[in-house]
Amino acid sequence: MNRYLKLVHMEIHRFRWILIAMMGITAIFQFSGLIWTLKKAMAQFEEQKIQGSDTRKYFDSVPDTLTFEWAMSNTQMWFILPVLLCIAVLSLYVFFIWYRDWMGRHTFIYRLLMLPTARHNLFLAKITALLLFVLSIVAFQLVMLPVQELVLKLVVPAELRSESHIVDVININQALVELIPRQFEQFFYIYGLGTIAVLMLFTAILLERSYQRMGILYGILYLAGCVLVVAAPFLYFGLDSSIIPLYPMEIYVLVLLLFFVVAGVSVWLGSRLLAKKITV
Amino acid sequence: MIEVKEIRKRYRRRNVLNGVSFTAAKGEITCLIGTNGAGKSTVLKAIMGLTPVSGGTIHIDGQTLMPELYEKISFVPDHLTMPAGMKLSDALRFMADFYDSWNEKRADELMKFFRLEHAVKIGSLSKGTAAKFSLVLGLGQDSDYLLLDEPFSGIDLFSREAITEVFTSDLIQHRGVLLTTHEIGDMEHLIDKAVLLKDGVVSQSFHCEEMRSEEGKSVIDVMREVYRA
Repeated sequence: MNRYLKLVHMEIHRFRWILIAMMGITAIFQFSGLIWTLKKAMAQFEEQKIQGSDTRKYFDSVPDTLTFEWAMSNTQMWFILPVLLCIAVLSLYVFFIWYRDWMGRHTFIYRLLMLPTARHNLFLAKITALLLFVLSIVAFQLVMLPVQELVLKLVVPAELRSESHIVDVININQALVELIPRQFEQFFYIYGLGTIAVLMLFTAILLERSYQRMGILYGILYLAGCVLVVAAPFLYFGLDSSIIPLYPMEIYVLVLLLFFVVAGVSVWLGSRLLAKKITV
Repeated sequence: MIEVKEIRKRYRRRNVLNGVSFTAAKGEITCLIGTNGAGKSTVLKAIMGLTPVSGGTIHIDGQTLMPELYEKISFVPDHLTMPAGMKLSDALRFMADFYDSWNEKRADELMKFFRLEHAVKIGSLSKGTAAKFSLVLGLGQDSDYLLLDEPFSGIDLFSREAITEVFTSDLIQHRGVLLTTHEIGDMEHLIDKAVLLKDGVVSQSFHCEEMRSEEGKSVIDVMREVYRA
């Protein structure tokens, strides 16, 4: 197998327990939230049936028939909290994926730098692994949705529920609507920009690892420089698009190009630092 | 042959290496000697591309360091360089996965020779056992050159004897070995060439046998002259 793929495999293997734990926590939160909410809704139904009048014991209003969309809109926090936790863990891991190789008595970075493969493969393997972690969590969330719908069908009797469309279910949840893009363009924005941000951070980390104390300053300057480059058209023309002497499509292409430049420079500089400047 | 020419390195406003030059030939054991902070480990790291130098050149068999050369040259640092959570068997598999020059049969023989257990986690190894396992990782490669940084540092007598035994075996014979050590007494009868570092330069470089026969001096005698002067 190609050594780059072996490195990706190794990075996934090292993170597997944290990934499984994040998926486990997400599943526990979401299923318990869903079941608890459905049970409460069912209890309110029962109460309404016995008392023969409206009650607002748990919810202001419960529709005549429950839908997955309704359940999702009433379990927002149960879905958002684990998503935020996953985002926090993965954000910290952007740093830890590098620093863990320098940490402790057994500094693994020695071995990684002495592998008979181009060092840019280390850089690419780490970014690939991070992307795969994000996509696997999103994929896990997608797989859970039909299972959650099945749970709803098991908890709520057929006469008390009606069908809802999966797109409406995703749209109603504030976390899912951001995580699961419905158009390729949106996918490209969310995950593409995220990837570029991680590439910039990787290069800043490698600047710190290569130049130690001065490296922190270089890293911060590099990040500031990248933000400046991307924001350059707006800084130059101003934020009011009506006075920018460019068509909206031209502005879009210009900004897109600048993002590609930042991504390219980050990969090139990061690889060069690994090959020529890194110190253990 | 490993050829180090005029390498320079500045670290924290101090010239650690000030134009170090020497060679280490295949089939010979070359020992890099120096007081604490003389830059011995830095030289080994520079040869392996683990720290950049500000000047000079390093050639291995006439080539500058490139990734493919890591199949030909192995480095045993003064600490084990595998994650603490890995088992020894995982570390051996890692080496087999990444190095074409990995010799599984020899690695197994070495594991038996040092009485190391595959199922043990790296994080739980004592310093001596970790040093032995480091040596397994270094010697398990069919490499032409082996670099060792303080292979005897902080380890017990029996582990030291076991490692010394490796130096007299055919595992080392046809390779070029470059090592640094403080315990020159244990190694003196094994080394072919000594390179003495002082003030960031090579102060003396000689073949031990020639020195003994021509000037009647041991390595320790020469060290006394250089470092007590």
